[in-house]
Amino acid sequence: MTWTKWSYMDHWVTQTPQGPQPPSFNRAYMDRYIKQLSALGFTGFDTFFFYLPIYAGMYGSVKGFEEFLQANGFDKITGVFSAYPWATKYTAPHVRETHDRIFADSERTVQALEGLSVENFIVMPTSTYHQTEPVTDETIKVVGDLWNRVGAMTLEHGMTTTCHFEFWGAIRTREQIDLFFEYTDPSLVHFFCDTAQHTIAGVDPLQLFRDYRDRCTGFHFKDTHDVDVHEAYRTPPDPELMAPHVTRWFYEMGTEGGLVDFPALMKEILSSGWDGWLTVEHDKAELGGGSYAEATATAKWYIDTVLRDAQAETTPVEVGA
Amino acid sequence: MKDTLKWSYALNQWNIRLDVFVRHEEQIRAFKTAAACGFDHLELASGTGRWDNLSRPEVIWQNHRDAAGLRDFLARGSITGVSSFFWDPFQPVEEEGWAFLLPQNPADHDAIVESAKPFVDFLAQVGSDRLVARPTRSAWMGAPFDAGTIRLVGSLWNRVGELAAASGVNLSVHYDCLSAIHSEKDLEAFLEATDLALVGLALDTAEFTIGGIDPVAFYERHADRVTHVHLKDTPFRDSGDEYRMPGAEATMLRGGAGRRIERWFFELGTEGGLVDVPAFVAALRAHEYGGWVVVESDHGGNPAELCMLNSWFLQHELGIAK
Repeated sequence: MTWTKWSYMDHWVTQTPQGPQPPSFNRAYMDRYIKQLSALGFTGFDTFFFYLPIYAGMYGSVKGFEEFLQANGFDKITGVFSAYPWATKYTAPHVRETHDRIFADSERTVQALEGLSVENFIVMPTSTYHQTEPVTDETIKVVGDLWNRVGAMTLEHGMTTTCHFEFWGAIRTREQIDLFFEYTDPSLVHFFCDTAQHTIAGVDPLQLFRDYRDRCTGFHFKDTHDVDVHEAYRTPPDPELMAPHVTRWFYEMGTEGGLVDFPALMKEILSSGWDGWLTVEHDKAELGGGSYAEATATAKWYIDTVLRDAQAETTPVEVGA
Repeated sequence: MKDTLKWSYALNQWNIRLDVFVRHEEQIRAFKTAAACGFDHLELASGTGRWDNLSRPEVIWQNHRDAAGLRDFLARGSITGVSSFFWDPFQPVEEEGWAFLLPQNPADHDAIVESAKPFVDFLAQVGSDRLVARPTRSAWMGAPFDAGTIRLVGSLWNRVGELAAASGVNLSVHYDCLSAIHSEKDLEAFLEATDLALVGLALDTAEFTIGGIDPVAFYERHADRVTHVHLKDTPFRDSGDEYRMPGAEATMLRGGAGRRIERWFFELGTEGGLVDVPAFVAALRAHEYGGWVVVESDHGGNPAELCMLNSWFLQHELGIAK
């Protein structure tokens, strides 16, 4: 079989008369961006919560934006990403007093998606490590309580709350992830596997998927060249762009020096019978002179060749078997 | 592209300066980009020196040893072949001692024919049969061509065509909007002056449109002479004599003077594009065109973005499966 459910995570920067900008610069740039993804054959689209009102403005409504996607060969908006990376007195997942606000924000986001069939409400479960530490069992319990509550709410709206762990987040080690999943209800809080983030944190994404396959509702397929061996995750205020030893953490699939074994992961996904969207993500692809367009095209080449071959070597299990 | 027409993509949009697009890994990323967009053949374009290492046969062989080596290199990005090689004999190159040759000067003809040999040999070795050549210098560089000059230039290209044919390579001369053979009348006179069996025409839809020639109507009348196609769009036409401005390569095509239009060539589907691409492709099909259709963006912006947009147009507007 050939995997067909490939989605694209909405990071992109393109040249505009006002310098390099996201395609939300204006409707014409947005149309060109979607056409490019369409040309490559992506059929799912993941975006951020903060883009929803912008796209609604451009296309009349979020539904109107989805219809534009569909006119270009997409199935639908597959996931919406929400996050509080920077802890404040208003929103910090490890601070119980801020949970009502986070819950209300989350509810507004899923309400904006009413009438669509978005599958994943993807969340960063915590803010930065350095703002949260010390990370104790109790910290993880507090965070788990928040996402149990949000998960129950999103389920009522037909969406799955699924947790995307960052290498610089407060829940990052294998032990912390295991404890978090112990503290959360498997029917309410799910797992979203970002292959690069876990690898940087020294956690094997393949083993994580094996262990949490039943709770896994999606992936970000991206690569990295570095494991964090200098405790960059604790860099204040930001480890992603300000780590002293690594200036670019994330790469598209197929670059030399990439640490993620995507063919092995693809085989594991297929042989496990897992069914869902595989999302390609390029985060900060422009660093070092790269371009999102080229990174995306070459990643799709990798899917069409290397991962196709990996699929051909795998005997898939029927979904539901 | 899964189609009865043979589609290729022009590599020149990546190689925009002498000192870029030199490292092999950059070139392989371009191959992968084209492949992901549905193209498995590429057109090369001539250049000069050690950095133009996909542009001069001698330099290509230094990089990739032989045809098998080049094929292996292309295959690393899922490219299965070279459709064609675009060659401008009037762009002075290091390899020819920076010679400044003129097609209207009979004394230069031997040297011009000789300078075709590396390209013909290269194409024969890599199993490609299409040499695409610029037939003249730009119009602004000299006096307008009269009928006699056009016949003289035609005789030169008959000789190049003969040389190419001896190696199993076919020649297509490429009209461009700055060319000294400029008007439709000039072009038709040039075709009359050349041997149908030896010299074909490369029809570039945007160059024709800028030059004031309707590519669809021209193709309908001269389908038997069109043996190669460059497909791209433009929202502009030369307003009259812009092509004769001194230094038109910069003053016209880079907006240095006149209307200050800094970009003339655009991807398929551009808003305001003047080329009726669906009608042109339909005409190719109607005449059972058997040559290459090379999609070209010609220095228009981010190469990957343009390649994807061109692919989108072929898939969604022309209904061609990738």
